Amino acid sequence: MTETSRLLEQAAQITTPWGKSFTAPEANRLDVVIDANDLPAAAAALNAACWGYLAAITGLDRGADDGRIEALYHFCAGAAVAALRVTTPRAEARLPSICAAYPSASIFERELSEMLGVTFVGTPDVTPLFLPEDWSPDAYPLRKDIDLSQPNTVPVRPPPTNGENGKHFIIPIGPQHPALKEPGHFEFSVAGETVIGATVRLGYAHRGIEKAVEQRNWVQDLYLLERICGICSHIHATAYCLGVEKLAEVTVPPRAETIRTLFAELERLHSHMLWLGVAAHEAGFDTLFMAAWRDRETVMDLLEQISGNRVHYSVNVLGGVKFDLEPQHIDALLNGAAFIEERARYYFDLVNHDPLFNRRTRGVGVMTAEQAETIGVVGPTARGSGIVRDVRVEAPYLAYTRCPVEPIVETDGDLAARFSVRIRELLESCRLIRVLLETLPEGALQTRMPRRIRAGEAISRVEAPRGELFYFVKSGGGEMPERIHARTPTLCNLASALILSIGRPLADIPMILVGVDPCFSCNDRTATIHTADGSAEDETWTWERLRRYGIEATR
Amino acid sequence: MRITTILGDMLRALVRRPMTQAYPAVRRDAPSRLRGQLHWDPEKCTGCCLCVKDCPADAIEMITLDKAARRFVLRYHADRCAFCAQCVQNCRFKCLSMSSDQWELAAKDKEPFTVYYGSEEDIHALLEKCAARADQALPAAEP
Repeated sequence: MTETSRLLEQAAQITTPWGKSFTAPEANRLDVVIDANDLPAAAAALNAACWGYLAAITGLDRGADDGRIEALYHFCAGAAVAALRVTTPRAEARLPSICAAYPSASIFERELSEMLGVTFVGTPDVTPLFLPEDWSPDAYPLRKDIDLSQPNTVPVRPPPTNGENGKHFIIPIGPQHPALKEPGHFEFSVAGETVIGATVRLGYAHRGIEKAVEQRNWVQDLYLLERICGICSHIHATAYCLGVEKLAEVTVPPRAETIRTLFAELERLHSHMLWLGVAAHEAGFDTLFMAAWRDRETVMDLLEQISGNRVHYSVNVLGGVKFDLEPQHIDALLNGAAFIEERARYYFDLVNHDPLFNRRTRGVGVMTAEQAETIGVVGPTARGSGIVRDVRVEAPYLAYTRCPVEPIVETDGDLAARFSVRIRELLESCRLIRVLLETLPEGALQTRMPRRIRAGEAISRVEAPRGELFYFVKSGGGEMPERIHARTPTLCNLASALILSIGRPLADIPMILVGVDPCFSCNDRTATIHTADGSAEDETWTWERLRRYGIEATR
Repeated sequence: MRITTILGDMLRALVRRPMTQAYPAVRRDAPSRLRGQLHWDPEKCTGCCLCVKDCPADAIEMITLDKAARRFVLRYHADRCAFCAQCVQNCRFKCLSMSSDQWELAAKDKEPFTVYYGSEEDIHALLEKCAARADQALPAAEP
């Protein structure tokens, strides 16, 4: 904790010139209230001092009586979370953009502006993020006084384009496309075969869960949030539980903590194996795709055996877990872990030594550590670029406090590095499962939870298979939450895929996209535009030139 | 650099039986903890409705015919159920359970998805009451 308090002290020092009040709601948190106009300066100071990274921007509507909208800029460094809190009048909500210091803030600012109606001065992109084209521009879903009995729709506006129509050839892909496993609409501007611009429009799987949780009680929300994602269902529920339990000041029994951790690691196993299969398939290596998914069934069967369900295991309840481990489950888990470990070694060998496969992965989609910091990527995508960013290591929670995790880092930054990181993480997860089972504490599975949760705010950060998952939970003291904000890892990572695709041949795009392990239903948010500057060549290519180019480009 | 790594796996797969299961031709038993259709035992129920309160999918209705005599009917909507088992957790009298055997719940129309639990006469009384109410709601027929 000394390191955390040192970091927090440092953050307080950096923000002293602008800070109007400093509070510490939890031991690892610091809330700094500043004036809205000072926001860019304070953010720039944090950036200049290299203090952490921008994890999320949470918007809160404080209601008509208070008359203000509050925005919390969460910065994370290690286990420390510093939040810059600013307010702006509800009637004319206006905040300065911090994109100059943190380009990754663009996505968060757009989310806030369409959800709460805050105008960001100086933000580079103001197109809608994940609300549909026919959503009224004056209806802000996360404001408390929105009338949801109305449809809130307007005649359809023209869909956003990348502003280059007529100048370049644009290849549209999706939202329904055989190559995409989830709905998303991509437009790649190409010069010949090289991508020179990429945009994505998501939101096709947006279900308004953050609004819906405000109308359900604390227990019902657990299951709604679990359904944000099918692959990382458990980790969403865990992040939520950790936040609510913190607010209620309830301590979960150690056995329940270990079981939660165990499920989180099993989830990482099956998520990474699913990804390995999809990534191999995108590379045209369907044998590996089939093999990875066949072996993944081992994990799914284990999950079904212990919890009774393959996908939404629903292991968590507020205050503990539902299912205990019997001796036969422990045996099955140990056997399963040994099998996956053996297969993971084999996959590692395969993806690193198959010459054909390596031509699709080595040196493709290279992201340097500096780039990764600027884009603000998390999880295996960041660890493939040499950045040690793993919540299990930096801010251990649940049983990770007792069973430390070895962070898996590769430095090459290309697709091959991302393959290596994820496959080596399979081995690490298998090791963890064994350690967790060896140190499985005895005792109860649940603690009693109050139905009303004490008023307050809590932040919980967990490491989902795709990277850091950030939850902000606010209670007004009632049976329902006042606000829950989930920032999913794909939101941070997807921009990297678009940036990295520029300058690559079109054939590499599926691989680069899948390299970040995007989860659209988790994320469902962005529409980003990235164009390489000054790369426009001759706009008309003859057939002969295109053919020659094709041969040379793939030689 | 070698290309042969995957070949061994491919050859083994050639002689191995398929990994897929021959369902529905062969129906294997589900794991004992599988969460299938909800079951309610009216014996011990006090009608506290905690199961209804926390159901995330609004799948349970508790209909009280006579609170003092503990006459309740539970109407369960299997098509809304998310099979999370929170109701089973909430029940302090262990009246609720999820079947590991009844999980083939698909049907061609909506009717089989509404399941009534309770004593036979209570269900009968309830259905009659519903039918009577439906009649009243109809506009008076022209003579």
